[in-house]
This record gives sequence, C-alpha cells and structure tokens, in this order.
Amino acid sequence: MRHQLIILLLSLLSVLACKEKSYVYDVNEVAIGTNNGDKNKLKSNEQFLSILYANMFQKAISPTEMAALASLIRSIGDKQIAYETLVARFMADGAVAIPSDAEMRGDLAAFITATYKRFYVRLPSQAEKTYWVNYLSSRPNITAELVYLAFATSDEYYFY
Amino acid sequence: MINRRKFIQKAALAAGASITAPYILPSGRLFAQTGLAMADHVVFVLFAGGVRQQEAIYQRYLADSQGVDIEGNVLYNMLPGEGPDIKIVYGVDTADGQPGGQPIDRILSTPLSEQGTLFPELRYSGGGTGHYGGLSTGVSGYYGTTQGLQQRPLHPTIFEYLRRHRGSKATDIWFIGNGIGGSTPLLNHSEYAGYGSRYGANFFAPTVTFGYEGERHLKGFKCYHPEEELDPVRQMRAFLNQNFLRQGQAIPNLNNTEEEKEDIKAFIKSTFERLENNEIAFPPVTDNGDLATVGFTTEVLRWFKPQLTVVNMNSVDTCHSSFTGYLKALHRGDHAIGHLWNFIQTQVPEMAGNTALIVMPEHGRNLQHNSIMDENDWFSFDHDSDENSRRIFAMMAGPGIDANLRVGSEANPIGDAADIVPTIAQILGIKSDVINAGLLNGNARSLFDRI
Repeated sequence: MRHQLIILLLSLLSVLACKEKSYVYDVNEVAIGTNNGDKNKLKSNEQFLSILYANMFQKAISPTEMAALASLIRSIGDKQIAYETLVARFMADGAVAIPSDAEMRGDLAAFITATYKRFYVRLPSQAEKTYWVNYLSSRPNITAELVYLAFATSDEYYFY
Repeated sequence: MINRRKFIQKAALAAGASITAPYILPSGRLFAQTGLAMADHVVFVLFAGGVRQQEAIYQRYLADSQGVDIEGNVLYNMLPGEGPDIKIVYGVDTADGQPGGQPIDRILSTPLSEQGTLFPELRYSGGGTGHYGGLSTGVSGYYGTTQGLQQRPLHPTIFEYLRRHRGSKATDIWFIGNGIGGSTPLLNHSEYAGYGSRYGANFFAPTVTFGYEGERHLKGFKCYHPEEELDPVRQMRAFLNQNFLRQGQAIPNLNNTEEEKEDIKAFIKSTFERLENNEIAFPPVTDNGDLATVGFTTEVLRWFKPQLTVVNMNSVDTCHSSFTGYLKALHRGDHAIGHLWNFIQTQVPEMAGNTALIVMPEHGRNLQHNSIMDENDWFSFDHDSDENSRRIFAMMAGPGIDANLRVGSEANPIGDAADIVPTIAQILGIKSDVINAGLLNGNARSLFDRI
C-alpha cells in the first residue's frame, strides 16, 4: 500500500513537473526592398522623355513632340547637359505642374512622399524622409521647383 | 553676383598657364609638355558626302562627267584656278533669275592649298566607300571593315586620344555634326576599352539644337542662379545620388566638369540670343546645311577656342540624284572653308596664327554615272567602292606646315584617309602616344612623314 502511494505520488509529480507554458512567436509581414527599388536598366531617350514629360506636365507627350525632343537630345553630345537643359526649359513653361511652395511647406512629409512616388515610383525610406524634412525645414528659400529639378536630374531618375 | 562666364574664363586661363608644368593625366601617368606641338589648335573639316577628284582637284567641271567640254575651278578658296566661263550653275541665282548663275565671291585672296600643303591623291584604301565608314576612318584612323551603322567607331577616335594622352578638357574637344542622321552623333567617341565616353568629344548638331526643334523646345530654358539656386540643387542631387546604389550601370556622359556643363549651357543660351539678334558669323552666303553648320561652328570657336574641332559636311551627297546640286554644294563647301579660315584668322585672336586647318573628303565617288538625270540633263554619280571612289585629296595649312607644297600626283598617289589622325596627333604633340597605342590602321602615318 505504501509503495502504491509512493508510485502514485511520483507519477503525479512527474506529470506536474513536465507541464510548462508554451510560447508562440510570430513576426509581422513587411515588404523588404533596396533604396533604389532595384532599378538597374538605363532608360532610352524616348523612355526618359516620355516619363519626364508625364511627370512634369501630368499628361502624355504627343508623338510629334516626342520626335522633336528626341532629335534635340540626339543633337547634344553630353546627355546630362541635354536633359538638364530640357528640364530647365520645362520649368519655364507655364503649364508645368509643380505644387506651390505653400503646399510644399504645409506638409513637408507628404510632399516628399508624393515627390518620391512621382519621380522614383517608390516610397521614401524613413531615413530619406527624415533627411528631406530636416533639410527643407532648415532652408526656407528652397522652392518646390528646385526640389523637382534635383529629382528630375538625379541618377536614379535615369534608371528603371 | 559672380559673373560665371568670367570665372570660368579665369579658371581656364589659370589651367592654361599651368599646362607648361608636368601634370597627371586622366590615364594616371605624368604628362610633360614636350614642346613638339606645332600649333595649339586644329580644325579638321570633313568635306564629306563623297567628292570626285575630277570636279575638285582636277577642275574638270563638266568635262569628265557629262561629255561637255567645259572645265574650270569651282573651289577657288581652296585651289588656284579660274572658274568655268560658261554653263555657270553652281552659284547663287542672278538678278534676272538665272538659277545658280552668279558664282559666290571669293573670300581668301590666296587659296588654302597655296597657304599650305596639298596632297592631291590620297587613297581611301580599306572598307567600303560608305559615309559612316569614311567618317569613322577620318576620326579614328582605322578602317573598321565590320563597322556597322548605329555603332560607335570600333577603335578610339582622335578625340579620345587627345583627352586621354594630352589631358584635354572635354570643352577643348568638339565634334560639330551636320545633322543627326546617319549615326553622325555616334562619332564623338568609341567604346574601346580604356577609352570611351569619358574621353569623348562634346558634340552639337547645331542645325538641330539651334534649328526648328531647338527654337521650339529648348530656347528660353530657365537659367538658375549659380549660388542661390544651383548650389542647393547640387546638394539635394548629391544626397539622392548617394542613396542610389547603381549596379554597375553608367550614366552616359562625357566627363564634363560641373563648370564645363554650366559653360556649355551658357553657350547654348548665348547662341539662341545671338541667333535672334543676327550676330552669328554665318558665311556671306548661307543657303544650305553645310554653310549653316559652319556658321554655328564659328560660335563654338569664338566661345571655347577648342584644341580640336572636327566639322562634318555632307551636302555634296546630293550627287546621287543631281549633278547640278552637287556642283552647287561643292562651291558652297569651298565657301564654307574660306569663311572658316578667314574667321579664325580675323575674329579669334587666340587662334589666329596658332591654328592648323585640315580638309579632306571622307571618300570619293564613282567614275561611271548612274541613270538619274537632273534638271540640266546631267547624269548623277553614286559611290559604291569603285577605284575612283577611293580617290580623295587632303590639304592643310597653319604653323609649321610648308606653304605652296604639292605632295604626290595622279600617277603617284601619296597618303591615306587613315593618315589624318596621326597628323593631328603630331600637330598637337601626341604622335608617339597615338602610334604606340597600336590601334591605327597598319598603313597610317602622319602626312608630315610622307613629305
């Protein structure tokens, strides 16, 4: 009888001793990408012009205008100079679609996000957003036009 | 406000002053001025489009082409000799409406060939006599027998040799094209390993850049303040570029510095303004694309005073379908060269007396005509690699170049189309670098070595 009690007690203890809390760990799903959105192909002149025109005027370029602009780009040896000059010409066009400086400064974070989406077709990283908000906050003379000029003539914009 | 143009000019002068001291080349080795350069500037005119020796050097006018016994010189800025007496069709229209009946006034009192050395019989010795192959040979000194259209020259160009071995700035080296057709814009550099775009020439096809398309779509571009606006743009762009992790992809550029880029933009703006104000030194008669191209070239010379300027013409190629048009284009090409040489000597003090001018067609044209007749019932001529289309001439004038010298003859051809690259290299003091690179045609030699 005494042995039976001891066995029962040990069995009970062993069962109780094995019981422990079980934890289930999980992670939230996040999209992982590089800063440049994996852009590694150089745009052709026509691709660049078509995208630039759409970004600047918010409408599609006509075939006639595309042919004329493509000829112009071919007529200048240094393509960076050609593109930068063309962007500067677009900036002189009253129809160019740029947010007002008041709109930009009203919500810098939203402006930067919209600008990355417009020119780079991606969202800014948190670090990029922080840089821009700080940079623009500390430089009240910088206009939305100058920001657009920087984006439209930056390396990433030449690639897709 | 800082005057950017003056700043750049001062910087250029400072750079020029330092050129006498040894300095490190882009290729990484030390360059010491050898003192062998014959001139500080070279202008090479590709009198291209396909020129027959018969109507050019030998002044046979209609005699060797149409069975009409009329001879005469239509290139009297380049060659001595009187023009034809009758059947004048190559000039401008007369007051009473005779098409082409009034020859264009002579510009040079002494023809270029008498001011310098004439090679009346060079050979285009390799490859087919196509325009692009000819132009490519002219600027690379190499016959790319596998050279295709829409493909950059197979071997390095004289532009790249100069930038790599002489350390020339991008804005010191220019190629001015007569248009954007026929792959012309691809001639400003090769993609040869160790050379390529970073040593390429700046290029304009000015009749496009400043023509209808440019007037409509480029003129009036915004000029930003260099410090208040462009500096922050550069800062912002530097941040964007730093964040862009390029994966081995190169953005096409000619390695112009930021200052050079701004200088070129200022040049574009100035040229539009001078065009509007009729201030550009176009030739007295400017009624075709070659003359307009040469007019804009004078602006490039005036502004940049390049070490090397190569200009491409091609209007004579109308000879495929119009012999009359060909004679007009020949006469206008001569007018263009007379104007260019006169402009250099009288309007650009930094280049006057310090510039060598070289003229050469890229190839010739056939001996036998095709079946197309023009408005004067004259036959037209193609260029499809017969022996006559391999015959060309070259002339050069400038410091250290013998005057009134003729080297070779119809019976004794001397020189080759591939010779121009080593010739330019010799004038600008880098002949041994170019020869030692081992990338010229095997027969190519400086024309000076053939005298």
